[in-house]
Amino acid sequence: MKKTLLAQALSIVFLGTAIALPAHASEAELLQRIEKMAAELEAMKAELAANRKKTDAVEQKQEALASTVATTSASAAAGGNAAGGSAGLASWAQSTVVSSYGEINYTRPKNAANEAQADVARAVIGITHRFDEKTKMVAEFEWEHAVTSSTDQGESEVEQLYVEHELDNGLRIKGGLFLMPVGLINTNHEPTAYYGVQRNFVETAIIPSTWREAGIGLSRTHDNGLTWDLGLTTGFDLSKWDAASGEGKDSPLRSIHQEGQLAKAHDLSMHAALNWRGVPGLLLGGSVFSGKAGQATTDFPANNARITLWDLHARYTPGLWDLSAVYTRGTISNTEALNLTFVGQPTPVPSSFVGWYAQAAYQLWKNQQYSFTPFARYELFNTARSYSALPAGLGVAALEDEKVATVGASFKIGEGVVFKADYQKFKLDSNRDRFNLGVGYSF
Amino acid sequence: MMKTHAVAPLLLVSLAGASSAAFATQYLTVEQAQKAIFPEATAFKPATLQLTLEQMQQMEKLAGLPARSAAWRSFSAFKDDKLLGYIVLDDVIGKFELISYAVGLLPDASVRQVEILSYRESHGFEIRSANWRQQFVGKTAASGLSIGNGIANISGATLSCTHVTDGVRRIAALAQVVLKK
Repeated sequence: MKKTLLAQALSIVFLGTAIALPAHASEAELLQRIEKMAAELEAMKAELAANRKKTDAVEQKQEALASTVATTSASAAAGGNAAGGSAGLASWAQSTVVSSYGEINYTRPKNAANEAQADVARAVIGITHRFDEKTKMVAEFEWEHAVTSSTDQGESEVEQLYVEHELDNGLRIKGGLFLMPVGLINTNHEPTAYYGVQRNFVETAIIPSTWREAGIGLSRTHDNGLTWDLGLTTGFDLSKWDAASGEGKDSPLRSIHQEGQLAKAHDLSMHAALNWRGVPGLLLGGSVFSGKAGQATTDFPANNARITLWDLHARYTPGLWDLSAVYTRGTISNTEALNLTFVGQPTPVPSSFVGWYAQAAYQLWKNQQYSFTPFARYELFNTARSYSALPAGLGVAALEDEKVATVGASFKIGEGVVFKADYQKFKLDSNRDRFNLGVGYSF
Repeated sequence: MMKTHAVAPLLLVSLAGASSAAFATQYLTVEQAQKAIFPEATAFKPATLQLTLEQMQQMEKLAGLPARSAAWRSFSAFKDDKLLGYIVLDDVIGKFELISYAVGLLPDASVRQVEILSYRESHGFEIRSANWRQQFVGKTAASGLSIGNGIANISGATLSCTHVTDGVRRIAALAQVVLKK
């Protein structure tokens, strides 16, 4: 393009001078003419160079403009498909996100084929809406066991419903119904996040996952990897304890949780959690939750009872290993008077309940789409380790520790779909030995 | 003449001021990320990289991931006339929200530093800690840039870690194919 321009320019100059040339020009005049043309050539070269610089500058400006356009259009892209190359601008199109997870399980007790069962364990829809860069709301709605009605056994519930705001100094404050920062599974409970078809006993029978309370919480993560949580929320209602049913033996806290359902709030509970992730791949943490549980109920003999649960947990993922352990212990104080009223019934209120587990998983095989991870877990739990002393003959013997060994594997398709299979062996009650199959998803 | 000279920078400064106020929860602006990655640089020259189809295919093969985009926003860092390296900007989704980050690369296409510009998820802020980001330093797309194989996960933030790690590996492959001299 530029060469032809030059050629054209030259020919024009040539023609121009040719036309102007008289027929009988002398040698000196010719030389003069050549010199003049040479000078004009130099002038044109200089002009071309200047033009080239100008176009370079314009090109650069265009690029800068194009990248800002690309950035704004990228951040406006819907569905979370950010085009490569967009810088850190707020993505307003991402302001409302729908998420979901679900599990369908099959259980087959080894010694009781007639108790084989398939269940849509849970179907959950989550909604997160971001109001601005610092404020968002989180909601999670759940259906358990597929069908809910007065004659069905399902449950539909609001599992989380809170707003969270981040203050300028990085402090996060939330209010509403939110998950307690206890153990490993409670805040990380999607089927793709844990091993085994059923959630482990320690974190269902002792720590009543999915455990949520209504109240306020503060949280902050520091640059050294330390995250702390502090909160004031509703707690448990001991007046709900049913000594005639076995629910309290299955899980003491689960049988008296309130879940934000017209929750008695005379006695509030406090919780604190500390989690350290300073070394990549390592998590060490603990929590404590405590509050009175009588709720000033009229004529209730345990209005001074205090429920405290604390836990220690660790997770380490070196290379393809996923190792984790949890220890948790709960206590209920001042239960003597209440238990006296339960004499003769199978399930008085325990004074302490405890559990721990150790688990190891290893990603044996993986390609771009699939992965296969076998795991093994050993857990010990006791939902009634001790009772407060009652006059001889009136009390109930403390339970023996149940020990469960689980061996199984997860087969994942991508990061959102998982097929699980495992076998569980119970030390105390081998009638419970069972084979489990499950399919789960999360997005 | 003086008037026009004064207005333009004034306008730019006020624009920059306005934009940083709107994104106050961003941990780093692009400029701060540049300085953090190449503190000795005297100039950053912006360039939008446009990949050909062949380059995108090479990138995919190296990274083991889809190339995802043909256009990438990048900067070349210079100290006077010497090329120090490159910075590529990108966004990935964590679990629900966008994570903005920058990858600093040396001229040999190895990772110099990773900076997180903004992180909005409810969990996983530890992704910003220097210890976690240190795992990326010195690595190339060839090895050591995937979770479980060179990069350790953050418990409770698996998706965020995986997506950022994949993003860094993709950019390291991009650097090898397009930027490496």
